[in-house]
Amino acid sequence: MSLPGPFAVGAYARKLQEEMRKRARVQLIGEVTGVGRSKVQAYFELRDGDGAVPCAIWLNDLEKAGLTDGALRDGAEVVIAGGPDYYPGGGQASPSFCFRATEVRLAGEGDLIARLEALRKQLRSEGLFELQKQLRRPRLPKTIGVVTAETGAARRDLLAGLERRGWAGNLIWAFAPVQDRRAAPAIAMAIQDLAARPEVEAIVVTRGGGSLADLWAFCDETLCRTVAMLRVPVVSAVGHERDSTLIDDVAAVACSTPTHAAEAAVPLDCLAARESLERCSLALRRAGEGAIGTRSRHLGALARGPARALQRERGKLNQKIREIRAASERGVAERAASQRRIGTVVLERARRRAAGADLEKRREALRQATVTLRAHEPERTLERGYALVEGEAGEPVTSAVAAAAAPGVKLRFADGRVQARTEGDVERET
Amino acid sequence: MSERPESYEAAVERLEEIIDRLDSGQAGLRETLDLCKEGKELVNYCAAELDEVGEGLKELRLDDLAAKLEASPGVN
Repeated sequence: MSLPGPFAVGAYARKLQEEMRKRARVQLIGEVTGVGRSKVQAYFELRDGDGAVPCAIWLNDLEKAGLTDGALRDGAEVVIAGGPDYYPGGGQASPSFCFRATEVRLAGEGDLIARLEALRKQLRSEGLFELQKQLRRPRLPKTIGVVTAETGAARRDLLAGLERRGWAGNLIWAFAPVQDRRAAPAIAMAIQDLAARPEVEAIVVTRGGGSLADLWAFCDETLCRTVAMLRVPVVSAVGHERDSTLIDDVAAVACSTPTHAAEAAVPLDCLAARESLERCSLALRRAGEGAIGTRSRHLGALARGPARALQRERGKLNQKIREIRAASERGVAERAASQRRIGTVVLERARRRAAGADLEKRREALRQATVTLRAHEPERTLERGYALVEGEAGEPVTSAVAAAAAPGVKLRFADGRVQARTEGDVERET
Repeated sequence: MSERPESYEAAVERLEEIIDRLDSGQAGLRETLDLCKEGKELVNYCAAELDEVGEGLKELRLDDLAAKLEASPGVN
């Protein structure tokens, strides 16, 4: 062993105490746990999520601090001032280390806010605020887990909010202390147990308002890290609107009241949704019936179309027929009249033509007849020296017998007649 | 639609699409009838989902459920 010594342990212990007391005096902030008292001093642990220090304060210093009775209790957030100390013990007494506090006060808003901001900065830098917000939140969860105090207004307000939504599904209550040092671990465990149940679709964590110290459990780093890593969306409603706890930052949704938390856990207004569904149902029915009705009317119209078109065409056709008939009758009459006129003209022409030729012939014939007649006129014969025998009455006497029998005859010459008488018998020509 | 909708919101979203399409008046007869059929199934699905959260609040305690789980056979 090349180290210095060996030294007497008692001397070393006093030297250690001396060294400890040289350390800088500082202030510490944390939660008080394990408070106990002896005749001369009070002792407790001061801790937070990362560690703890055993502390002690002389009772006279504690009295000077002016704390009310019981203020130094488990779960209280306090600020202490002092420095490390070492009690070397003695022949019988055990040695011990402690932070010797000479002053103590309850942590104020400012102290807590400073701690909260440091934690907030840390968790944000790790991206823990975003994880829950990326989770899908069902609009209509059927089972909701709720972490809250068994007694208190938060529970009642939450139920009222759910009723206002028209939601009446399954609620699983996970009751936990919501204020003191036991609260944060109990809440974290309740949340994890709820999330482990497959039917739980959303978790609400809620409690009523209070000071930041009262709500401090909801700023617990371990609790907030648990919430951030959860796969079930968490809706937080801790304290009132002005209160901002760390769990609000890591939760999927942060609400100001339990009533709002109920509405965030069930985004769907079930009453309005039922009405909307009725409207959808009606719209679908109308669309279906309308589509068929409109089309059947259209089809009906189309079906009647050809008949109407046929009727229309038939009407046109009949009209045409009537027009044609009328025109035809008119045309026939006109043609008949025209033909009659033409016929008349033709006939007339023909007649005239025919008449013209006949006349000529007749004239010729007449001329011939006249010539012939003239040739046969007795006057012509008489002119050539012949005489015509006529009876008393002027009738021709054409035979010898008649002449012999006649009492008297006349002989007609070209220039006149003379009375004559026949004598003797008839002399026959041989 | 033969498959069950993925979720209530998916059903409602599809239903809104259907109503919009029908309202547009551009769907033909076959499409209209198909959309109406699908829409009716979605309405029925949504109504059933709403009925599930409309028949009375059921309050349970996590402690009781955990106790039951521990008491049930076959669970370690």
